[in-house]
Amino acid sequence: MIDFIQMIVSGVATGSTYALMGLAMVIIYKTSEVPNFAQGDMALVTSYFAMMLLTTMNMSVYLAFFLSFVFAAILGAFLEFAILRRAKEPNILGMIVITIGIEMIILGFVSWKFGGEAKTMPFPIGPYDGFIIGDIYISKLDVLTLVSALFFMIVLYLFFKFSKLGLAMKATQQNSVAAQIVGIRTNRIMMMTWGISSLVGATAGLLIAPTVMQPFMMWDPMLKGFAAAVMGGMTSLPGAVIAAYMLGIIENLFGGYISIEFKTVVAFVIIVLVLCIKPSGLFARHYVKKV
Amino acid sequence: MKKKLMFVLFVSLTFLLSFTPALFAEEGVTDTEIHIGQWGPQTGPAAAWGAIARGSGDYFKWINANGGINGRKIVYHMFDDGYNPAKTKAGVKELQEGTGIFAWASGVGTSPGLAVKDYLGKKNIPWVGPAAGSKNWVDPPMKNLFATYPLYEGEAKALVKYAIETMGKKRIAIAYQNDEYGKNGLRGALAELKSHGMEAVAQVPFEAKDSDLKPHIMKLRQAKPDMVLLWVTVTHSAKIVGISKAMKFDTQFMATSTCSDFPLMTYITKGAWQGVICATFAQLPGSGYPLLTKYKKEIFDKYAPKGERWGLFYYAGIYFIEPMIEAMKNVGRDLTREKFITAMENIKGFKGIGPEVNFAPYKKGDMYCRQGTSETFLVECLEGGKSKQLTEWMSTK
Repeated sequence: MIDFIQMIVSGVATGSTYALMGLAMVIIYKTSEVPNFAQGDMALVTSYFAMMLLTTMNMSVYLAFFLSFVFAAILGAFLEFAILRRAKEPNILGMIVITIGIEMIILGFVSWKFGGEAKTMPFPIGPYDGFIIGDIYISKLDVLTLVSALFFMIVLYLFFKFSKLGLAMKATQQNSVAAQIVGIRTNRIMMMTWGISSLVGATAGLLIAPTVMQPFMMWDPMLKGFAAAVMGGMTSLPGAVIAAYMLGIIENLFGGYISIEFKTVVAFVIIVLVLCIKPSGLFARHYVKKV
Repeated sequence: MKKKLMFVLFVSLTFLLSFTPALFAEEGVTDTEIHIGQWGPQTGPAAAWGAIARGSGDYFKWINANGGINGRKIVYHMFDDGYNPAKTKAGVKELQEGTGIFAWASGVGTSPGLAVKDYLGKKNIPWVGPAAGSKNWVDPPMKNLFATYPLYEGEAKALVKYAIETMGKKRIAIAYQNDEYGKNGLRGALAELKSHGMEAVAQVPFEAKDSDLKPHIMKLRQAKPDMVLLWVTVTHSAKIVGISKAMKFDTQFMATSTCSDFPLMTYITKGAWQGVICATFAQLPGSGYPLLTKYKKEIFDKYAPKGERWGLFYYAGIYFIEPMIEAMKNVGRDLTREKFITAMENIKGFKGIGPEVNFAPYKKGDMYCRQGTSETFLVECLEGGKSKQLTEWMSTK
């Protein structure tokens, strides 16, 4: 029984990281219908930026994190402005390929600039600090990640539902020409979306970095976050978060009781199943564009 | 007319003679240069091991600064394969067929190495010191391939033997990477357990890109082992030990030589690596071993780029290819691949910064004619990344 509860707790903890990545991907998808495969590496470079501020410039953690969030937002906005917006006659496939290209460029840059050796980022909470409650281990970092994921989910949900800017973002996704006609500056909206998304994804990176940092650290969370976003319906923020927690728990239970060897592939089996059975995802309302 | 003919003949002869050294010289060897190639991941999942290729590069610079090899300088061609076998194969072919490489030095990784093993073998291009302890290099042996990294299987045997015979461990679990690297360690550990009439209480595979390791650790914990052998990546090893300690899963951890860079492991585990026992293949950084101290002073301090760390991986890049330099020196001016291979085969009792190196003339079915090292020693990580040598060199055969 202890093991079962531990698996659920660990699943929720892992799901929190997936949730942050999933949320970040959904935000961009909601406005542009483009899954951003550079999401993980945008978080990666932000984490290394924070590490640089902390170690070479000896900044306090709070200031370094604040500046890193600013950096993440600017990076996201810059990538949209400087690269994606420049694409000629863009279609979704082309945009996806561009995001993959950005991913490779950032990964190469991080490896070149910071090296491939494993590092760990100084942080007030140690990577292995935690509580033991009745033989169940709960990591403090995992709790912080959980709180961050839920915080972003609620804030973003309210933002998209009630704020003018959020509604403008939704309008841009649903019909960008109509949005422009009613006075929405869709280019600016897209840029802001990338900035916000980058900031949310960076939170996941910054919370992974205190354990171990290396250039490939965001690959698995990004893929699993994407899987969660697909499962949740790609446009639903609560959907992505709930799916991320489901994914984390299913992975853990599958690893614990069925096969540890195939634990990693469970996420992708789920994607295939969801796409076959309910292509719009488990939590999104099926939206059909009208001519 | 006769004069004209003589002139034409003289010019033709001079022209032909000017090409004579090139016609008879070995590929990758000129009058003044020897071209050596190496791949090494500077990016990608194994970039931490990229220091090996950089260490080799600085070693060559030092050799060149000290007069080179029999009047020739080494020209080093290193490329970043990102630990991607497809890139390794493309890069090796491009350099071999474009530039012309005399021999290949080291090269990180079992999978990247396997991608070019047959290509180099078919052309009989010498390759010395692959940076992985895989049995694939020498079983079956190939004429051109000389291994200097002690076999992972042997390391695993030495660790398990020490755990059982010296520490009295009875319940041994194995955490291994689900690829050729991990399976080499798994095979060695299982063989040693079998020789003691024992079985592993758990065998838990890890995928290299797994980020959530708690389910794996719980699997290990369920088996209640008194020793866990780790044959996974550096980052996975660090996470396993760190999380296990936090989960109060108190057991003895032992690990492969790839995790024996204690200052690094201590840093990334925030001290949790203390008490872990590793096999290792070269003298320890703080051992005061004269040759290692010399390398530090004359190679690392002088040639290493800013930000490089004097760690195990860096000087492993020197250790793996010390016999290569020795053999090239022994050949003399008339450097050909055939003569170089014979010189490698004649290396006996060679001692650099690692175990003793011995090769033998090629014999089909005898892997030890090409596996030059069969020794390891065990070290324990102490506080602050310091190390304590637990054994002398142990045979891994």
